[in-house]
Amino acid sequence: MQFNTAQRELTLKIVYYGPGLSGKTTNLRALYQRIQPALRGHLMTLDTADDRTLFFDTLPLVFRAGNLKVKLKLFTVPGQVMHNSTRRIVLQGADAIAFVADSQPSKRQENYKYWLNMVENLKANGLSIEVMPNVVQWNKKDLGDASTAEAIEKMRKEGKQPVYEAIAVRGEGVVETFLGLVDLTFEQIDRVYLLSDKLGLDRRSFVEEVRRCLVDPPPVGDGKEPPKKGGAAPPATGTA
Amino acid sequence: MAESILQKRLVLGELLDLPSFTNVCKTFVDLYRIGLKVFDAQGTKLVDMKVASGDFCAYMFTGPNGRRLCTDTVTHIKVRPLEAQPAKLEEVIASRNCFSGLRYLMMPIVYEGDMLGRVIFGPFMPEEVGDLGQDLKSLTAEFDLVKAKELIDRIRRAPETTVRRVLEHFTRVVDVLVFTSHKAMISSQLHIESVTESYREVQEKNKKLSDALERLQELSRLKSNFLATVSHELRTPLTSVIGYSEMLLAGLAGDLNDEQKDYLKTILEKGESLLRLISSILDLSRIEARGVQLARKPTNLDEIVQSAMESVLPQSFKKNLQLTSNLSPSVQKVTVDGDKIRQCVVNLLSNSVKFTPAGGHIFVSAGPAERVPASAGPFGSSGFFQISVTDNGIGIPGELQGKVFETFFQADSSASREYGGAGLGLSIVKSYVEAHGGEVSVNSELGKGSTFTLILPIEPPGVGLGMPPTGGAPPSAVAF
Repeated sequence: MQFNTAQRELTLKIVYYGPGLSGKTTNLRALYQRIQPALRGHLMTLDTADDRTLFFDTLPLVFRAGNLKVKLKLFTVPGQVMHNSTRRIVLQGADAIAFVADSQPSKRQENYKYWLNMVENLKANGLSIEVMPNVVQWNKKDLGDASTAEAIEKMRKEGKQPVYEAIAVRGEGVVETFLGLVDLTFEQIDRVYLLSDKLGLDRRSFVEEVRRCLVDPPPVGDGKEPPKKGGAAPPATGTA
Repeated sequence: MAESILQKRLVLGELLDLPSFTNVCKTFVDLYRIGLKVFDAQGTKLVDMKVASGDFCAYMFTGPNGRRLCTDTVTHIKVRPLEAQPAKLEEVIASRNCFSGLRYLMMPIVYEGDMLGRVIFGPFMPEEVGDLGQDLKSLTAEFDLVKAKELIDRIRRAPETTVRRVLEHFTRVVDVLVFTSHKAMISSQLHIESVTESYREVQEKNKKLSDALERLQELSRLKSNFLATVSHELRTPLTSVIGYSEMLLAGLAGDLNDEQKDYLKTILEKGESLLRLISSILDLSRIEARGVQLARKPTNLDEIVQSAMESVLPQSFKKNLQLTSNLSPSVQKVTVDGDKIRQCVVNLLSNSVKFTPAGGHIFVSAGPAERVPASAGPFGSSGFFQISVTDNGIGIPGELQGKVFETFFQADSSASREYGGAGLGLSIVKSYVEAHGGEVSVNSELGKGSTFTLILPIEPPGVGLGMPPTGGAPPSAVAF
């Protein structure tokens, strides 16, 4: 997080992490479509000829929350195994993580491997998943089976982080994941930097400002946990 | 980890290729005939192109009031805060009237929510104004207004709406230039960062491997010392066991009956077998601990081979093996460590005796080498001899032939139980031969037999080059 008190400017870095081809770039592309053009920057994609992410994708979103200028910088990491050093670089200074898991049963081990890889790479950057706001998105939910549902249910019961289901390629669950993570992120930085006390900016209105950046935003949630089925999740959620 | 380019704030001048950007600006200026300035966020001027305003501005600068008012205008357009977060692009264009009646339009260059700089179009004469400004008209004591009018008329007249559209268009072009430049810069920088990070990672792993190797080498040295000590301590009492058994068999302690003799023969045979094993372990431990120490001296090749053959004669008689040789007269004197080469041949012969069924035959040949070792390089075409031991024993499967020289290796794990031995003999042969700068190879066919060949230099490789003639092989040839 970068907080420029003189210019009243807050910059947050949100990283989409996960195995190769799990849908990180698709999430960012879907978000790009949903953010008002005047508030979004360029969606920068650094990919190869075969459409695989080479370095990362990035999408900036700039808006005002109260009298604070907020910049949300969204990044994806390259999923291919060989790009581990790039993943580590992209994680530098991350404020929050959306872990995009692949719902396909054959990818279960990959999800696990990349989660551990993420934890290691966070450590190398002096960061810890224990305190980092994070959500898990089970993408490609239409390709999951009973064992996937079981794994998701188990994860929800453990309640370590909010869990979302999505079909990013159709835009389902993408905004919900994003808003859920923004909510958690604000909660975390507010706890550390007391933004609500200092700037009079509370968590609910912060998330509401982010919602306003969206074209056709989802309905405001009731503050309860994300739904167990389907992609729609309330933005102002606590832990799942 | 060093700070990534992703964490750094962007600077317009570093993003754009200034000569190319200046060319783009020039095309706009040539097309629209309006001056253009570009500043970065720190106020550094990146582009400054005037169109027909030079003479007029210079004239205004000649009077003290003109100079002051002109400076005010320039300062204003350069540093006046601009709205950096537009809701709509056209809303953030700011305008500034010059005291002369001319006008400037300013627009921020905003990228990813940051103001990277500003574009200034002007001065131009707004068509809707069309005349000298009132402030200038009041400075009659300072300026000749006719001359001022003549000079100002050279400056482009245009409706402000037109200039605004041109400015908006130009700013969009700049946005594309900044984006593509940023993308290119990030690609190249991140590529370097990734390679640097990978290199750092590899270095870290190399350090760990190197430390682990050092620890293993130390452990290996300790193990070798331990084996050497234990073998030595085992050999001493064993020598007594063998010696006293021999004395008993010789009747030095009185007559023995046949059964007692049989028992003693078994004790003696097993004792000798154990002694050979312990000696091998001791040899290997010495090699591992100190490397092979050679005592080279001119020796007769025939003597080495004959002596080795004699030492395995009793075992070959027992198995009814035919032991023959062919020693070429063309190689007689060789400068080697005779004891070690003899031991190599003994080890090869012992293996042949062990793995050749009763009634088989073993053939030993010695003479000029049929080829030179690979380690001799392209210049080592002569000066080698070879000793081959061929048998018609059980043979070695092809895929295992490369492994038989490894310590404790036996082609078939059941072989050690059926034929005895611990798989040390060939490992010792390899160490001794390579220490001489030679090579050992095997050619075998399962069920038909094997040929082991030692190729060795007749003279030590360093002779004549100021290298020590004895004791040591080229560094690459030392196995430990």
